[in-house]
This record gives sequence, C-alpha cells and structure tokens, in this order.
Amino acid sequence: MTTPDVHALTGAYVLDAVPELERAAFERHLSQCDACTQEVRELRETATRLGRAAAAEPPPWLRSQVLARISEVRQLPPEPGLLTGGQPRTPGWALRLTTVAAAVLLVASVVLGVLLVNTQNDVRDAEQYAASLSAILQAPDAAVANGAVQGGGTAVVVSSRERNEALLLANGLSDPGGGVYQAWKLGDGDPKSAGLLDGNRLDIDGLDQATSIGLTKEPAGGSTTPTAPVLVTVDLL
Amino acid sequence: MRERVRRVPHTATAGAEPDADTLLQAVARGDEQAFEKLYDLVIGPAFGLIRRVVRDPAQSEEVAQEVMVELWRTAARYSPDRGSAMTWVMTLAHRRAVDRVRSAQSAADRETRVSAGESSRPFDEVAEIVTMKLEHEQVRRCLGTLTDLQRESITLAYYGGRTYREVGELLDTPLGTIKTRLRDGLIRLRDCLGVAR
Repeated sequence: MTTPDVHALTGAYVLDAVPELERAAFERHLSQCDACTQEVRELRETATRLGRAAAAEPPPWLRSQVLARISEVRQLPPEPGLLTGGQPRTPGWALRLTTVAAAVLLVASVVLGVLLVNTQNDVRDAEQYAASLSAILQAPDAAVANGAVQGGGTAVVVSSRERNEALLLANGLSDPGGGVYQAWKLGDGDPKSAGLLDGNRLDIDGLDQATSIGLTKEPAGGSTTPTAPVLVTVDLL
Repeated sequence: MRERVRRVPHTATAGAEPDADTLLQAVARGDEQAFEKLYDLVIGPAFGLIRRVVRDPAQSEEVAQEVMVELWRTAARYSPDRGSAMTWVMTLAHRRAVDRVRSAQSAADRETRVSAGESSRPFDEVAEIVTMKLEHEQVRRCLGTLTDLQRESITLAYYGGRTYREVGELLDTPLGTIKTRLRDGLIRLRDCLGVAR
C-alpha cells in the first residue's frame, strides 16, 4: 500500500505545504498506512516545537475579545462516528475529515453537474463515467487536483499513476464557439494530446511521463500541438 | 468584559496548574474558566506562529481570534491519543494562518512578493520578542544541524506558509527533492529535539 513517493509527503503534509486537494488524496493514503500515521504524529509534534519557538505576545485586548466571543458561540458535539463506519481504525483529526469531505463534495458536485447536463442523453453513458471515476478513486494512489480555467470554469483531474489513467472533469467552461477544448499531457517533452473534451469530461488513458494536464481551446477537430494559450494546468501527483 | 468567577476545573489536581491537555478536555465540556486558562497557556505560541506566517499585525490578530474561537468550538473533537493539546492548537493556528495568506493573495501577487524577496521586514523582528528563550535556543541549535536545503525548505514551508511547489520554485530544486528534504529534515529535527516517539 505504501509507495515511497506518497510516503515522502509526510513532511510537506505536517507543514501544511500540500495543496488542498492533493492533501485529500494523501489523507486517503494515511487512513490505510499506520506507519505514516505514526510518522505524521511525530513530525507534527516536531513542527509544533518550531512554532513555539516563534512565540510572541499578542495585544492584551485580544483576550477580552475572544472571551466575549466564545460566550456567544455554541460548541460542536464530539466527532460523529458516521464517517468511521465499517473501518476498524480511528479516523484522523476532524480537520482531515473535513478536507476529505470537501474533496469528495467537489468531485460529487462536478459529477452531478455532468449527470444533469446529460439527463436527456444516454444515462448509461453517464453511469459509465461514474463507474470509471469511482474506479480511479479507489486506487490507493488516487489523487484529486483542480485548477481555475482562464475565461471561467474549473478543471478537476482525478488520477492514478498505478492505474495509469485519469479523468478530467470540467465545470462551467465558456462556450468554445466553433472550436473545441483539447487536453494535453504536459511534461519534459513536447505536449501530447490527451484528447478532445466530449461535453465536460474526458477519460485519459495512459499518463506516460506527464507531470500535468493542460487545457487549450483549439479549432474544430483538434490540433496535433497546442496552437492557443494554455488555459489551465493541473498538476498530477 | 464579563464578570468572571475564578475556579479550578474539576479535573485539575489540587495545587498543580493543569496542563493544556487537561484544560482542553474541560473546555470540551463547556468550561469557560478552563478556556481562559488554556488561552493564557497557548496564545503566545499560537499568536507568534500566526504572526510569523501572516506578518501583517492586524490580520494576524484576526486570525488568532478565529483560531481561539475555533478551539472553543471544536474542543470536543480533540482526542489525546492523536497528539498533545498544544500540537492540536498549533496545527489549527498554522492551518488558519496558511489559509489566510493563500486566499488573501492572488497567485500573481504572490509571485511578485516572491521575486521581491519579502525584504520589507527584517527576518528576526518577531524572534526578538520571543518569550520562550530556552526552547527557541534549542530549536535554533537543531535547525543548525540540518543541511542548508533542509533548513531553507522547512523554513519557507512552515514559517513562510509556502506550498512545496512554491518552495521548489524559490529554491530552484525539483519537487521530488523538496518533498524528501522536508521529510528527512523534520526527521532529523525530531531526533535532535527528542520528540517522544
């Protein structure tokens, strides 16, 4: 379950140096890796020592303001057991759960958007996408990352190196007019086409050596190399 | 300000000042007096860290206030088997500080600041008002045992609130190397500081 690459994120993770969605993917890994969880705990304590070394006196009025505030704030109940159902291990801190939940919600909302757009089209087609999405998400190294598309919209890439595939989900893209949105595998060499967006999504088979996925607006039929500015790049984990 | 009745949380051992873990568990049961004590115990480290990351004094005060209210609100979600109460607080503080700097600046703005080298404020201004001198000395000594790349990566990520990608760009070093240095640097720090295994 533990790949050296994923494991190496423990340091960046406790320093909050991992971007939001990549963090969600790492937390999935954490929930299955006892050694990582132990290491994260120790490194977090270590980071705390770094933090304490920066201690400074706040202005005195902060105290009275905080104390006045808390008398008006209702406390949350203990963590509900819902999310741990079926899992023998205890989950991470509430913080972790909320980020995982946020990533799941994001993906779910995109998927829902995709499904809604297609209600009058082929339902089986939509189901197929939902199936391939969940297949990738179940891979131990599944990663979710996103980026804002220039000109509007969001691109979410769910990828797995192990499965050597990715799913690109775009949301709220502007109308490409007579053209088409084309995805590219970006890496050290020349950009390679990852295919044309069919509606708001694209299955990408074979990640090759790509380090990120890019999106451009190309003339109808697509291009062999990008002819327009890259509107968004989403890094692969 | 409200009238406060001073009393020791009922979980505290008579005569001894309760530690952060004990206090946080009392806070989870809605004990406001325990919260006041906990505040006094953690605010210095939490505010200092937030100040180091956020830098702007007014924004740092805002974030510190958010963190303390969040601490009150989520106290019942703390569980001692996942780490110390101080670490819980500091994790919350760092996360919020980082959220603030990442959302406050557009990517372009951030790049400008990176290239400008953030030279507007002397690095050790905050360090001068350090209250826990002893601890500070030990941390400084242990940071000194790291390689330059380990130390710079950790400092940029933790005190600078940078993502590891930004750290990679700033230090002109491949991402894989940065990830590894962040990890093995922290491991070396852990061993030097004698953090309980």
